[in-house]
Amino acid sequence: MNARLDSFSYDDDIVRKFLWATMIWGLVGFLVGLIIAIQLPFPGFNVAPLLTFGRLRPLHTNAVIFAFAGNAWFTGAYYSSQRLLKTRMWSDGLSKFHFWGWQAIIVSAALTLPLGLSQSKEYAELEWPIDIAIAVVWVAFAINYFVTLTKRRERHIYVAIWFYIASIITVAILHIFNNLSVPAGWFKSYSLYAGVQDAFMQWWYGHNAVAFFLTTPFLGLMYYFMPKAADRPVFSYKLSILHFWTLVFLYIWAGPHHLHYTALPDWASTLGMLFSVMLWMPSWGGMVNGLLTLRGAWHKVTEDPILKFFVVAVTAYGMSTFEGPMLSIKSVNALAHYTDWIIAHVHTGALGWNGFLTFGMVYWLAPRLFQTEMYSKKLVNLHFWLATFGILLYVVAIYSAGATQGLMWRAFDETGRLQYPDFVETVIRLMPMYYVRIVGGTLYITGMLLGIYNLYKTWAARPARYEVPVVQAAPLNPVFEEHYAPVTGGLWTRFAAARWHRRWEGMPLFFAVMTAVAVIVASLFEIIPTFLIKSNVPTIASVKPYTPLELAGRDIYQREGCFNCHSQMIRPLTYETERYGDYSKPGESVYDHPFLWGSRRIGPDLAREGGKYPDLWHVRHMFNPREVTQKSIMPAYPRLQTNLIDFPTIQKHVDAMAMLGVPYGDAVNRAPEMAREQAAQIAASIEAAGGPKGLADKEIVALTAYLQRLGRDLKNATAGSASPTAGASKPVALAPGGSR
Amino acid sequence: MKLSDIMGAANLSVYAEIAMVLFIVAFLVIVIATFAPGRQKTFDAASRMPLDDEHPQTPR
Repeated sequence: MNARLDSFSYDDDIVRKFLWATMIWGLVGFLVGLIIAIQLPFPGFNVAPLLTFGRLRPLHTNAVIFAFAGNAWFTGAYYSSQRLLKTRMWSDGLSKFHFWGWQAIIVSAALTLPLGLSQSKEYAELEWPIDIAIAVVWVAFAINYFVTLTKRRERHIYVAIWFYIASIITVAILHIFNNLSVPAGWFKSYSLYAGVQDAFMQWWYGHNAVAFFLTTPFLGLMYYFMPKAADRPVFSYKLSILHFWTLVFLYIWAGPHHLHYTALPDWASTLGMLFSVMLWMPSWGGMVNGLLTLRGAWHKVTEDPILKFFVVAVTAYGMSTFEGPMLSIKSVNALAHYTDWIIAHVHTGALGWNGFLTFGMVYWLAPRLFQTEMYSKKLVNLHFWLATFGILLYVVAIYSAGATQGLMWRAFDETGRLQYPDFVETVIRLMPMYYVRIVGGTLYITGMLLGIYNLYKTWAARPARYEVPVVQAAPLNPVFEEHYAPVTGGLWTRFAAARWHRRWEGMPLFFAVMTAVAVIVASLFEIIPTFLIKSNVPTIASVKPYTPLELAGRDIYQREGCFNCHSQMIRPLTYETERYGDYSKPGESVYDHPFLWGSRRIGPDLAREGGKYPDLWHVRHMFNPREVTQKSIMPAYPRLQTNLIDFPTIQKHVDAMAMLGVPYGDAVNRAPEMAREQAAQIAASIEAAGGPKGLADKEIVALTAYLQRLGRDLKNATAGSASPTAGASKPVALAPGGSR
Repeated sequence: MKLSDIMGAANLSVYAEIAMVLFIVAFLVIVIATFAPGRQKTFDAASRMPLDDEHPQTPR
């Protein structure tokens, strides 16, 4: 061993900062969640234009994933990494930059999402300037982290750090590739990919955001903080290594299970299903490893609320990683997809696994970081029980909501007709469950408030100056020499001795590269074929680009977040085609930058909406949905009748689409004029039908044009119509009643 | 000729099988390395790393 000892201290200031950010943003994220949970049964709580469900739902998901869970990961990573590597972070400046940069991004998300600035891809809604900022902050974090690894004073890199490394690298890759887009102004962009490719890319991202933001970093935290809290090493270190590598190899393939029965090629869907089912094994290996870490310490669990949080967290991990593979089996997915079942699944994971692991960690850290006793252990216990019952109420109610709606959608009566042809019937049936969810969420948030109060009181009792212990350790010998007897014998013996493995465990950068290779190779093999092999996305001759006015309407559809409640993807299942019409083809969305297939049907599917109702129906429906469908829970959008269409920017948007290869022809020169012409026609038809006058320059006309276009191209193909793009305002008799 | 035509004609499906074999081999290598004899001592030391904030468990 080297005789010289280095003296150093750990940077806990940055940990304290991230800890507060975790709790405060967590509260904000949960509150927004509560608001949107209230908005569903009580549509009157939608405050247009800024605080409607469609704009707040992305804010809720982003706040909880990136602000709450993100800051929680950073809290734990900065605390544990320094201690596991026996070194201070390489640069305090970069750590601070990471902290303030991340908080600035969160604030910008909280400002832009209610303004309706959205890329419309789930968990990747933030517009391109913020995406660039995220990349910059992430690179700073990564540089600081990797240089710290090279400065470490511990030869072996503990498995928790492997999880952090894989997460840092994979999140960077996911973020960059999913957000590639062509800007059309400062806060508007169109995804580089369209339709099937965009959907594939998005759910490769979306699923792996769950995997590498909510699972692997938190497993790293589990492998550090569970042993800490239980004061004993992890049950099996070998199992944790297998847990790591199997997750890294398998997770990246699983994304297509979000797109079962959609226009995604079947082979991709099956591939995603198989890998998802395989994921069950390593996930449960990890869960068992976590729970068995408490072997011989179970008596402590009854007394220590921190261990209680951890036990429930790991159990929730086990439950959601059993349910995930089950949901990715196609036949199960056919029932659960588009329903609240998925919402319940996500909340088992988020509230149980991420939330409780975070709370356990925070309560373990607080006395150590604030260097005083926890203010009240009773409050910690109360937090635990409130939050546990909150989760139970939430998930039980929402699981039954999901199963109820899924079964109602597929129910046929004895004559072979849909038993609930009126979509809204399947919505109002859920209301009792939605009330229970509000109660559950309120309990969970009450626990959070107690937690923040408890932390505040603990912090208030901190010493005048924090003590900073000085640690001494020898630097690593730059020339790493094996101290073991040389292995002799054949190739097999030398291989089995695994010196090579130990050597590259000690090389963090090489290790990082290997992880990246596993992730990238898998991604390429899965995604590239849909981009480059023609047979995967057959084109349809009658499918034409959106007219400039329809494109403007589509922008409004994206701005209001309509895709959060309405899918545009009819699955080839009898009960779907019976309800909505012919199933969606891959060739139909080749000009959809981004795709808007959606993932949840709080309202009906809109893929064949065009021509179903007259223009005036849409005008009245947007003004007040309950005027045409009495029990509708959709927010009202009266402002669409007064907001002016921004005609000059339509040109910019058309140009951006043309740059993406959308054949716009004449429209690249005279988009605003074309839009005005079409708007005048539609406004005239609305007026002729007895609707409001003077809508020719109002947003409602653009949105109506878009909605009336949906699914028309395919109908035109069968009808042999000569002008597929001019089908916006065909007169149709006003349907009584209004809903289907 | 577009890139997608070339890719379509190249008949790349064999690479999927090669990738699968590579993945299985990589996985087996990791399993063998993890359960290789003589590693228990390192792992025991490694598993104690979280418990001591001050002393490196695997120096050298």
